[in-house]
Amino acid sequence: MRILIVDDEPPARERMRRLLEDIASCELVGEAGNGAEAIALAGRVGPDVVLMDIRMPGMDGVEAARHLGQLDEPPAVIFVTAYDEYALRAFDTHAVGYLLKPVRREKLADTLARATRLTRPQLAAIAAAAQPRQRRTHLSVRSRGELRLIPIEEVLYFIADQKYVTVRHHSGEDLIEESLKSLEEEFDPDFLRIHRNSLVAVRQIASIERSSEGQYTVRMRGLDVDLPVSRRLATEVLRRFRG
Amino acid sequence: MNRPASETSSAPAPSFYLPDFCATQSVLAVVLIAELVAIVLTLAREELRHGFWIDLARTSLFLLWISLSSATVMCYSRPALARMSVQRASAVSLALLITVTLIISEVTFWLGQRWFGGLQSSVGSLFPANHLTFLLRNLVIAFIVSALALRYFYIAHEWRRTVESRARLRIDALQARIRPHFLFNSMNTIASLTRSNPELAEEAVEDLADLFRANLRETRIQIPLKEELEVARLYQRIEELRLGPRLKVKWNVQALPMETLVPSLVVQPLLENAIYHGIEPLPDGGTVTISGARNGDSLELAISNPVRQEPSGNTHSGNRIALDNIRERLELAYHGRARLDIDDRGGEYVVRLTFPLKQSALDAAQ
Repeated sequence: MRILIVDDEPPARERMRRLLEDIASCELVGEAGNGAEAIALAGRVGPDVVLMDIRMPGMDGVEAARHLGQLDEPPAVIFVTAYDEYALRAFDTHAVGYLLKPVRREKLADTLARATRLTRPQLAAIAAAAQPRQRRTHLSVRSRGELRLIPIEEVLYFIADQKYVTVRHHSGEDLIEESLKSLEEEFDPDFLRIHRNSLVAVRQIASIERSSEGQYTVRMRGLDVDLPVSRRLATEVLRRFRG
Repeated sequence: MNRPASETSSAPAPSFYLPDFCATQSVLAVVLIAELVAIVLTLAREELRHGFWIDLARTSLFLLWISLSSATVMCYSRPALARMSVQRASAVSLALLITVTLIISEVTFWLGQRWFGGLQSSVGSLFPANHLTFLLRNLVIAFIVSALALRYFYIAHEWRRTVESRARLRIDALQARIRPHFLFNSMNTIASLTRSNPELAEEAVEDLADLFRANLRETRIQIPLKEELEVARLYQRIEELRLGPRLKVKWNVQALPMETLVPSLVVQPLLENAIYHGIEPLPDGGTVTISGARNGDSLELAISNPVRQEPSGNTHSGNRIALDNIRERLELAYHGRARLDIDDRGGEYVVRLTFPLKQSALDAAQ
């Protein structure tokens, strides 16, 4: 079993490493210090199981697990935590394996033996229960079997077409499998719906222009694109842009 | 008793000492008081006119009229009374109660004159004959009984408040102590060190033990500043093991009078907050600065940490408990002469403690 350890505290990683040495069937394939590192590493080394700390700087464990769930062959995730009331309750509700620090050897062996992949709905439900009010710091895009992370701060806008949502960010464009509605709910109030099919980052709006026919368009920073504003939403968009 | 619906729950301040006389419980209490007074008055009478029970019934009827009307008046004037100072509210209540007694006495006398004026029948003798004596007697009795009742309500309220605030302080103090997150992570660190570096593990256990001992101490005592800073350093050492190079703490406290007495556990919880909310969320860590200065008669301590620029959706709560607890303990120790200020402008979160120097030594000497 190929295992990846994710924890921001060096002594915690060291202890986990030592515990794993005693379990015959395990092979340690990497260590990461936060969620973003874990995702980069997971793409390269392809672990079977990720031992994931929850409270980490940058990207926490719950969000990292959600991104990992986007992979075609996602690893099983076992959460490891010192104390996290909400998360523990969520894990129990959704029958998700977890370990409490300091981790016991027998418990670790037992949990590894029973480790299973988490489904995307399961991961989303855990995130909602464990960290209400908290949103993702990144979006993840699959490309050639690996995950690429897009920091939310770099996103300019989302445009929906028939099946996919296109996300335009500082370094290009990508397709993601999420609905505009769920994105709007998660990232409110930093993102603003300007049209049935578009959601823009409020802070990235450069200007709002009005054509002679009374049609408003939004121009984003550093982009030569005009996004139409629907009539219904024009008042709200103007209020937020000026406000 | 009918009560104005809107005023019942919202208007009066919860800390006002008079109970809500619209509530069933209070009305029962009022009736009980009236009956007890009626019994006392009847018993005290030298010669009973119509036998004990008739006299008691007569007095009860009269007193119930007065007491229930008083309760109604108090019920409706409570919102206004609650906005006054205690002395003023008491004086106004007393005046209201005496006025109610006066009016009802007058009405009773008038009814007696009007309906049964000339008759010296048994019914007629239910009503008083001498106008002035009747009014005067009732007013004096009303004054004494009302004053006693008000005093009783005041003391009962104060007592309840003391009990409540003591309980709250105790709970707060418990919550402000060691976070479970810190405890279990420290245990994990020690578990890790026992094999790789047993000596360091031993030190960590000692530090943790001392830290717990300091946290279990009665929070009201005052200790030399040196000891208080030492507790914070214990905490720092344990966190350094866990966070490694991500945590840096800069101490700038040489200028402080180390022997001066300060309330215990004011610096360590602030350092804990700074690390938990400031350093831990930063991937590359940062520096917590603890600085102190003597400023005439007061001592100023500032603990600052960098703040992660969070996207607006993610909010951290929880450091309020520790801050509120410290504030409350400073208030208990210095009665308004100590301050805790928070400044979170410009990417830094600074908590500034200011408390009087001389007074702390004086308080301890007493």
